[in-house]
Amino acid sequence: MKDARLSNWQWISLVVLRMLIGWHFLYEGVAKLLKGNWSAYGFLMESKWIFADLFQWMAQNSTVLSVVNTLNMWGLVLIGLGLILGIFTRIAAGAGVVLILLYYVCNPPFVGLFYSIPTEGSYLFVNKNIVELAALLVLMAIPSEQFAGMDRILYKFLKES
Amino acid sequence: MDEKDKKESSESPSNKKIDRRDFLQGLAGVPVLGALAVAAWKQEAYRRAIRSQRAAGSAAPEKEDDLHVALLGVGAQGDVLLNSMLKIPGLRFQAVCDIWSNYNLKRAGNLLRKYGHEVNTYEDYRAMLDREKGLDAVVIATPDFWHAEHTIACLQAGLNVYCEKEMSNTLEDARRMALAAGESGKLLQIGHQRRSNPRYIFSHDVLLKELKLLGRMVTAYGQWNRSAAPDLGWPKRYEIPLATLRKYGYESMHQFCNWRWYKNLGGGPIVDLGSHQIDIFSWFLGVNPKSVMASGGTDYYDKSTHEWYDTVMAIYEYETAEGTVRAHYKTQTTNGSLGYFEQFMGDEGTLVISESANVGSVYREKTKAPMWDRWVRKGYLSEPKLMEMTSEVDMGDALDVRETISPDEHKLTLQFYDAYHKPHLENFFNAVRGREKLNCPAELGYESAVAVLKVNKAVEAKRTLFFDPQEFLV
Ligand SMILES: NC(=O)c1ccc[n+]([C@@H]2O[C@H](COP(=O)([O-])OP(=O)(O)OC[C@H]3O[C@@H](n4cnc5c(N)ncnc54)[C@H](O)[C@@H]3O)[C@@H](O)[C@H]2O)c1
Repeated sequence: MKDARLSNWQWISLVVLRMLIGWHFLYEGVAKLLKGNWSAYGFLMESKWIFADLFQWMAQNSTVLSVVNTLNMWGLVLIGLGLILGIFTRIAAGAGVVLILLYYVCNPPFVGLFYSIPTEGSYLFVNKNIVELAALLVLMAIPSEQFAGMDRILYKFLKES
Repeated sequence: MDEKDKKESSESPSNKKIDRRDFLQGLAGVPVLGALAVAAWKQEAYRRAIRSQRAAGSAAPEKEDDLHVALLGVGAQGDVLLNSMLKIPGLRFQAVCDIWSNYNLKRAGNLLRKYGHEVNTYEDYRAMLDREKGLDAVVIATPDFWHAEHTIACLQAGLNVYCEKEMSNTLEDARRMALAAGESGKLLQIGHQRRSNPRYIFSHDVLLKELKLLGRMVTAYGQWNRSAAPDLGWPKRYEIPLATLRKYGYESMHQFCNWRWYKNLGGGPIVDLGSHQIDIFSWFLGVNPKSVMASGGTDYYDKSTHEWYDTVMAIYEYETAEGTVRAHYKTQTTNGSLGYFEQFMGDEGTLVISESANVGSVYREKTKAPMWDRWVRKGYLSEPKLMEMTSEVDMGDALDVRETISPDEHKLTLQFYDAYHKPHLENFFNAVRGREKLNCPAELGYESAVAVLKVNKAVEAKRTLFFDPQEFLV
């Protein structure tokens, strides 16, 4: 934290960013859980690009699919909790990066790839997923949880004991 | 972190002891989490409310002039009809009958109760007719070979009957049904639902009869292409005991689920699918066919479980007031490309129509037809989509100048996006109330069955079979 002499304003804006992303993850997970019969099937089957075979294999194998579904829903929830509360924040942010990267390479907005599930905007290479991913990288780089987050307490607690 | 840093940045957790500030800032996420919990909770409550509102209590309180309805046969099609009927006001469901008592019957009963209809369920239709009093109408969607027995018994019990097509798998039975309707004085509507489809009615009444848009009709074509599919299966837990199956004329669960493919039970794809479209030939051409020849066979599936032909091509001849019309019908069950539609061609235009809501166009034959601008202005047809060379494709030398330019496509402006079977059911119930005439009464259903069932005969005979005009009369 040598050079992390940030002003309050800078810290707060990072914490806000973290909580917004956390909120997004958490509610995505909770909504899927509440829905009861949510499945990644459609999303995976739409997969284009070089990993398409792999993703479609996941969708078509019912055991694999149910594991993917569970991991995704609970992954979203746990990452969301971590980011909002600022606990195990770097792990949560890192996991978030991995998850988003998977979404991205499953259905990347590359030149010449078109999807039948309509997107709510128009994207080329950059979509909102990749922006969120970059924001998570920022959060991994600058430990906003040491300003506000349970890691701050944890950190001190570990130091004390 | 060195000492100096720690002092300067009091915001970072640099002090040695956990203090008040650490606590406040450490727990900053908690209220945010709380807010999300409250919001998510509220959102979920709304979602539940909307869902239960949709599910329950949609049945309006019983009214004096509600029609009391029973369902007989609630498989795939029975379910479609049931869902369409739930959108028609003024119906009160009273009873459901189906021999698959722990599966289809249960599902239909539960669905209706969820919508606020207190229905009794029966396995045996005779028990239903014995016990249920005050029924006005019954909707029958059992396999074809049961239609006659069910329909006749219901008519004789004083009910008006909506019976799915095909009227029956044999003409003798279809005739008995029509006669029973006549004798009982009750209504019998056959489920050729295109007869009530507003787009078909418009095409027939306005485009063909009033505007004579196609000129002299010479040919017709119809097809139903279906992708290859495995035989229908069933959940093993809900298997019907063999003794029960036998009682109702089935040799096995496989046969019970795939009855369409078996002789004596159904009529195969030509009867299942073709009957809808061959019915349109007769309707739109205004006459019954004069002859039919056909080729067909079980070319793809296992012959022992697909007694009826998976592929059939038939050619009909019609003698209309304006001259001969030849119609080709094709059904195949191995490739679903291009789907299903009917097409009529005259010297001035072509009509392509399908039950599928987005297929419906007329093409103007430029060499002969007058301009259709008037009909576009009147709103009958859309502005033409020009089929002439577009600038996008530079055909250059590739275009052969002798090639005629394809005609302009006009879409039908009349749209119909409701449940496909709803208008036909509405027509039936309005007829029961004395407000409308049936669009497909028994006599019409019979004519249609005469025309369609002969295809299978023509396949066997391997020659042209002729219709005696008397044949179409009950
Ligand atoms: N108009 C259309 O577009 C359309 C579409 C599909 C089917 N259909 C017609 O609907 C009818 C039913 O077809 P389906 O696809 O629903 O078949 P299905 O096999 O899915 O359903 C038939 C139902 O009838 C029940 N049943 C069988 N024998 C019975 C008996 N003796 N008494 C009481 N119930 C009995 C079965 O248990 C089953 O639930 C057929 O005549 C078919 O031609 C019409």
